[in-house]
Formats: sequence, structure tokens, C-alpha cells
Amino acid sequence: MTTTIERMRNIGISAHIDSGKTTLTERILYYCGKIHRIHEVKGKDGVGATMDHMELERERGITITSAATNVAWDGYAINIIDTPGHVDFTIEVERSLRVLDGAVLVLCSVGGVQSQTITVDRQLRRYDVPRIAFINKCDRVGANPLKVRDQLEEKLKHNAVLMQVPIGLEDQHKGVVDLVAMKAVYFEDDTIRLDEIPADLREEAARRRNDLLDAASMFSDELTEAILEDRVTEDLIQAAVRRGTIARKLTPVFMGSAYKNKGVQTLLDGVVRYLPAPNEVKNVALGRAGETGAAVEVVLAADPAAPAVLLAFKLEDGPYGQLTYIRIYQGRIEKGTALVNTRSGQEIKVGRLIRMHADHMEDIPEAIAGDITALFGIDCASGDTFADPSLDYSMTSIYVPEPVISLAIKPRDKKTLDRMAKALNRFTKEDPTFRTFVDPESHETIIQGMGELHLDVYVERMKREYNAEVETGKPQVAYREALTRKVEFDYTHKKQTGGAGQYGRVIGHIEPMAEGNYEFVNEIKGGRIPREFIPSCDKGLKAAVRKGGLIGFPVTGVRIVLTDGQYHEVDSSDNAFQAASIGAFRQVYAKAKPQILEPVMKVSVEGPTEFAGAVFGSINQRRGMIISSIEDGSFSRVDAEVPLSEMFGYSNQLRSLTQGKAEFTMEFLKYGRVPAAVAEELQKQHAEKKAREAK
Amino acid sequence: MVKKHLIKRSPLRVLEESTHGGPGRGAMAVLASPKGVGKTACLVHIATDKLFQGKSVIHVSYASRVDYIITWYEDIFKEIAKNHRLRDAVAVHDEIIKNRVIMNFKQDGMKTEQVLRSLEAMITGGKFNAETIIIDGYDFGLAESEDLRKFKEFAGRMGLELWFSASLKETGGDLFRPDGTPVLLAPHAGQIDVLVTLQAKSDAVEIRVVKDHDYPAAGILPIKLDPKTLLIAQEK
Repeated sequence: MTTTIERMRNIGISAHIDSGKTTLTERILYYCGKIHRIHEVKGKDGVGATMDHMELERERGITITSAATNVAWDGYAINIIDTPGHVDFTIEVERSLRVLDGAVLVLCSVGGVQSQTITVDRQLRRYDVPRIAFINKCDRVGANPLKVRDQLEEKLKHNAVLMQVPIGLEDQHKGVVDLVAMKAVYFEDDTIRLDEIPADLREEAARRRNDLLDAASMFSDELTEAILEDRVTEDLIQAAVRRGTIARKLTPVFMGSAYKNKGVQTLLDGVVRYLPAPNEVKNVALGRAGETGAAVEVVLAADPAAPAVLLAFKLEDGPYGQLTYIRIYQGRIEKGTALVNTRSGQEIKVGRLIRMHADHMEDIPEAIAGDITALFGIDCASGDTFADPSLDYSMTSIYVPEPVISLAIKPRDKKTLDRMAKALNRFTKEDPTFRTFVDPESHETIIQGMGELHLDVYVERMKREYNAEVETGKPQVAYREALTRKVEFDYTHKKQTGGAGQYGRVIGHIEPMAEGNYEFVNEIKGGRIPREFIPSCDKGLKAAVRKGGLIGFPVTGVRIVLTDGQYHEVDSSDNAFQAASIGAFRQVYAKAKPQILEPVMKVSVEGPTEFAGAVFGSINQRRGMIISSIEDGSFSRVDAEVPLSEMFGYSNQLRSLTQGKAEFTMEFLKYGRVPAAVAEELQKQHAEKKAREAK
Repeated sequence: MVKKHLIKRSPLRVLEESTHGGPGRGAMAVLASPKGVGKTACLVHIATDKLFQGKSVIHVSYASRVDYIITWYEDIFKEIAKNHRLRDAVAVHDEIIKNRVIMNFKQDGMKTEQVLRSLEAMITGGKFNAETIIIDGYDFGLAESEDLRKFKEFAGRMGLELWFSASLKETGGDLFRPDGTPVLLAPHAGQIDVLVTLQAKSDAVEIRVVKDHDYPAAGILPIKLDPKTLLIAQEK
């Protein structure tokens, strides 16, 4: 059965790592009739929540990859994209956000808005995703959903409006008062019982409903009039709240306890009532304009009759081959539909079309604009756009940060090598922030990524999914080298020892450049170096900057200008000019006063104020710079900039310093200059390594 | 211009000379004015001047958000760098901000002891060798003399110099006493070592030293606050 677009919802469940997201997702699946028994995340019964289908996630109790799951609620089809909550996996988060139309922001009623919540919310904001909030864990000791609503306003700047007030908290939490219907909602044995509002809550409910009406009336003149004339209806309120939410100017707040089966059904009602259908969200692709081929933005129409445009946002390797998750933005597809991969130009035909449920997959005959489904047997990379052959559109690319950490891996034996290669090939297709290459000097296989945990997960996946056990080296920070001043070069490469000679001379200068990594400028006039050898110089220089002279890391931010040179009728060649360019760069590199740069992370630590001193100390110890500390009551947050090389093992240190009561997040901020003492040490290590390799 | 000359030529030298070297370690200075005259800018200028001299500063804020304060520092730095055609401005900037930490507290319910505890944690635990503490947004209307005594005791023990701002609220009556002391601060006059007031005049903001340790106060200074940049400037 195909659902009409008005009755589709594509939502994400975004949250701080321990706010109960997976439990909530599982309850949603349960109430939507998709699974028949409830498992806990940490798997007391050894089964684990259904969404976390990777073994590894099951073990760690966290959700790493985003899987799309289709459920039905009240005549609506909801695709749930399970977004990962850990900051090391940013690309996964960003990619899932790209295909969402709305999100449920889950908060813990005790912990409230924490640093990870802020990160997640910022990401949602970046992709203009409308949100509704769910304050979970109202059964916990210290639960205070009203305070969490205040934090949504103060810390996240949401116009947060309570749609409900709790009936009892902590172990007395029984249900909620629905402020739209003005009814008490009790959750008993999987069913809902509506009742009159308890006497002791009537006054508060009336007051909060007024707040709700005030906020909602900003988005509807009709509602404003109805309020004045005292003829407010539920439909009017819902329409106004919906408008405000979709415009991202209002955040309706729901509450309950997923674990105790409270508030899940009312949240689902909220999802279909207030979050947008796919055709209420503007989606843009990049097309080509006229003859110039310049990129222009094209607004896509969520219309099944239009030519198809879809985005492959997630790949998964299953027992039956590659499964490609897609979001259809425009048009419709069915078995046999011809599409073009607009990145590679490759034509494909839609084969099996699949709808993913939490525990099984279903073959479907067709899918229309707005839907999220999966394709079998398509070879592509994640992030590729497929479109009708008449269109050359590409969905705007997702920002991919450069990896900041690398790790050498070694297969245990020859057999493992093949499996490892297969795994690496798969991972690099799935995750653009994960890269791999073979170091030409040490012949080691190097993997690169966004953090320690990021690489750990892939090493474990290799073992579990591909039976490829590897030994790992020490994580290595991705340093860079950069020049600080302009220097001239004049270098002649000459070899005349029998056979064909080699001759090439290059003159010019190298200089630092603020933006970009590498630029080659040819200012040679009058054919002092024949045109055919200019690319050779470029090639040689590119090779030279790959390894700087200080510690063998890439030289970035360098502009090289070639102004003059000399050649020989017979002895000049491609090789000769490559060699001359490499020689020139190496010869003057030291004169350009190069320095070592290292990745610096933006680190936020949150925890009780009593540990502030310990936290300050730990950051200072790690060459960190404290930017600010914010104290609010007994809670404090410290923002700092710390070199990545100093962050290894920080989670363990922080845990022991604060009895596990503080947590931190970090993300890449910038490349910063390494202090002289550290630079010396790095150079010493590099020299020792080279000496070892030379032996 | 290089940094050294910039420090020497700063109009803040006038303020320093007029107050016998500023508050000094263990002492407390207050910069008082009605709202919106430019106290925060003024404090940030004072802090930036310390940073230029290679000293470390903790900026305590009771009201403003951290990003707002950082913006103030950026703006003031840019303005100074531009006015004095500072050489290597980016490098100087990166160098001096290492010596600045911002600490943000909510005053309601935040006890002075807790603030001091966190400051001490920053200085000792975080090994942040501060010399000057800037305290902006502190509500003197709520302050007990006991609180100020604790601040001063702390400053004395840790060898710190304190620069407070005080916002004078319009209450209907006079803001200032005839001798220039703000009415709001009169109960605390004994604790304050250096008291400077800002008053908006038609063309600029007048800077006046009302109290200077135990010396006779210098009164209106030949420097003023430029109403456009809110920087302290020499009178033309």
C-alpha cells in the first residue's frame, strides 16, 4: 500500500547519549505494532533493542549507525532514522539529518540540556530541521520536566511550549495532562485512559494552557480571534502549533518515561500532528544552468509525477549484497525505473525495492517522493545522487571534515589481508570521514578518521563482520607543516653519467598562503621552460609537499610560483623537471622557516561544580587553553581548546577525577602551531624513526 | 607600531597615574556608571591593556553570556590594533588571549564563597597565574558588606587586583552624592580603594576619579570615553 505524501513523516530521534533514545525508539516500534516484546538496550535478556542491529552496538549500549525503520501510527507512515548520539560519528549524524523532515529531541528530565544536547541541537539547526521535544525519564529521582523546559529556552533558545504537564513525578509518575484537550491521560497496560484532570492540577493546567494559547496564537489570527470570542477548538490550537513548529519558531514539549511506558503514544500523536510532511519542507538540489554549466539551486517538487531525484544516504552490507538506503525527493520509482548516478554518470535500473522494518524487510512495488526506502544490487558510494536521465541534479553535498587521527593496522596473516581489504573498501564507501592508504615508505596500512573511538569501532567491525583481526599501532595525530615566509629558489638538476642525460632548471619562489592547501602558479614567459614540462614541475612539487622536511607530514597552505628556468634540447624530460622541482623545494624549505601544526579540538566538559578545580587542572596538564567556565547552580561547564595529541585517554582520566560525574565532548576546531618544545621532540622522534628505517 | 609603544602610549596610563598605579594587589577598584554608558567596554579595555603587558586576567561575568563578552574583547582589540597600526596583530592577538579566561556565574543563588572557590580552583588547580580579576555585572544592590570583605580578603591572600563594575540604577532620587560618590556605593565606600565614575556629557563620557586610596582624589581626568568606539581616549 502506498501512503499519500501528506500522511508520511520522516523523523529522527536525536539525543544526548544516555537520555534513553534507544529505549524510546523501541517503545515507538512496540506501540506501532512492529515488535511484540520489549527488550532493554543493555540487553538483560541478551536480545537488545531492535534498532541497534549491529552486534557491536548491542555490546556497548550505544547506537552507531543510522538505520531507517518504517512504522505506522494512526493511518500515517513514519520513517524513523535512528541518528547516532556520539560526537565522534558526526558524519553519520549529518548524513541522517540531511534526509529528515523533523526530529524528536529527547532530553533527560534529570540531566536536562547537556553539552551533547547542545551539539545535537546545533546540528539540527544547521539543517533547518523542525523539532518537538520529549522530556524522558520522568520516573527518575530528581525528575523536573518544567526546569528542563526552562533550559530549552535559556540554553538552546527554543520557544519551548509545554503541551502537557506531568501527573506525578519520580515513582508517582502516572501520566500527563493534555493541555490541548484538557484531559488527564493515564497510561495503563499499553492502553490509554482519559479522565478528568485531578483537582490539584487544575489550576496549573489552566495556567499552562494559557501559556500554550499565547504562544500558539502568534501563528494563527484565527486562533487569536477564537480566544477573544471564547470558542477555541482543539483543531485550531493544533493547526497553529503545527505552523509554528514547521516554521521552527516553536518547540512543542512532550514528556513521559519510555522505560515505564508513559507518554509514548501521546508523543506519536505529536509527531504526526506537528512535524511536517515531506511536501511541507523545501528541498534543494544543484543543477546546471544553460550552456555555461554553472551550478544553480533548483527547488525540488515532492510530486510523484515529476522526474525522479533521490539521494543514497546510507549503505549497508548485508547477507544478500549491498543495501542502499535512499530518500526520494521528487518523482516515483518502481522496478525497472532507469536512473543515472549523477556523480559517475553510470546508468542503473531499479531492481528490488525494499521497505525496512525493525526486524524484517518487505519488498514493495513502488515508492514515491518523500519516502525513505532501500535498494538492492546498486553499486554506489554514500552521498551519491540518482536522477531521471533527463536531469543532471545533485543533492547539495554534505560537509566532510578532514580526518585528524590515523592508526597503522597490520593483518594477522595472509588470509586476513584479503578480508581486511574487503572491509576497508566497504567502510570507505560508507563513511567519507574514514580513509585508508598504504604508506609508501613503511608499507603499513594506515586508517584515518575523526577520533579514537571512531577508529576503534572500525577495527572491531573488521573483526566481527569480516573475521579480519588486525594488530594496531599507536594512534597518530595528523600533523601538518606550513611555511612562515617567502623564499626564492633556483635549482638545477643535472645528470650526465652515461646514457641519456637529465637536465632541468627551475627558478621562482615559495610562499605561505592563508587559504587552500596548495597552489601552483606558472609565470614563465617566452618558453624558458617548454610548455610540455610545466605539468611535470607541478607534479614534482605536489610530490614534494606531500612530506615536509620537519617531521614528514604534508605541507599545507603553500603557493609556489615558477618565474624562470632553463632546459636542454636533448636532456630535458618530464622526469628531469619533476626531479628539479622536488630538489628546489627541498633545498629551500628550511629557509622558509617551516613550523609544525597540530589539530586543536574544541572541548567542553560538564559536571558538578565541586570538580571544577580538577577539570581545570586536567585541561592545563594537557596543554589546553581554558576559554570560559560557566556555573549555574551546582552545574558547571568548561570550554577549552586542547591539542588532539593530548586528548588520548582523557575520558578515563575525567571519569576517575570526577567519580564518573563529568562528561566531555570534543570536535575539531582548527590547526594550531605546535609549541617549540613539542616541535623539537617531534623532530627528534622523526629523525629516530628515519634512522631506524634506514637500517 | 610595536606592542611596547602601544602600552606606553595607552590613555590608560593617565588613569593609572591618577590613581597612584591603579588599585594594586589586594585592593579593589570600582568603575561605576548608569546603565549603557560603557562600563563593560571600559573594563574590557582595562583588561586588554593588562593582557598587552603580558599579565593574566580572569574576566568574571555575572550577567552576560560568554560569547557576548568574547565579542567585546575582539572589538576592543581590533579597534586598538587599528588605531595604533599594530604590527603582527594576529600573532599578538593569539598570544594575549591565552592569558584570558572568562568565568560566568548566575548571581541569584550563587554565593560569594562559591565564586571565590571556583576562582581559586582556576588559579591553583588550573595553574592560571592571574593578576587582575575583572568582575562585571555584580549587583551592588544585593551585596552585603560581608561579601565585599570576602572578595578583598581573597584578593589579599592571592595577591590579586580587583576591578568591579557597578551599574547605577535610576531610582528617582540622585545617583550621586555632592562629593561624586554614587549613592548605591556609599555603604561600601570603606571597602573600595579606587572609585572611578563615568558620566555621559553632551559630547563624550567624562571619567572622574572619586576615590584614590587614601590620597586626595584627582577628580575629572583629561581622558574621556569616545562615544563611538567606547574606548578610553586622550582628550584632543
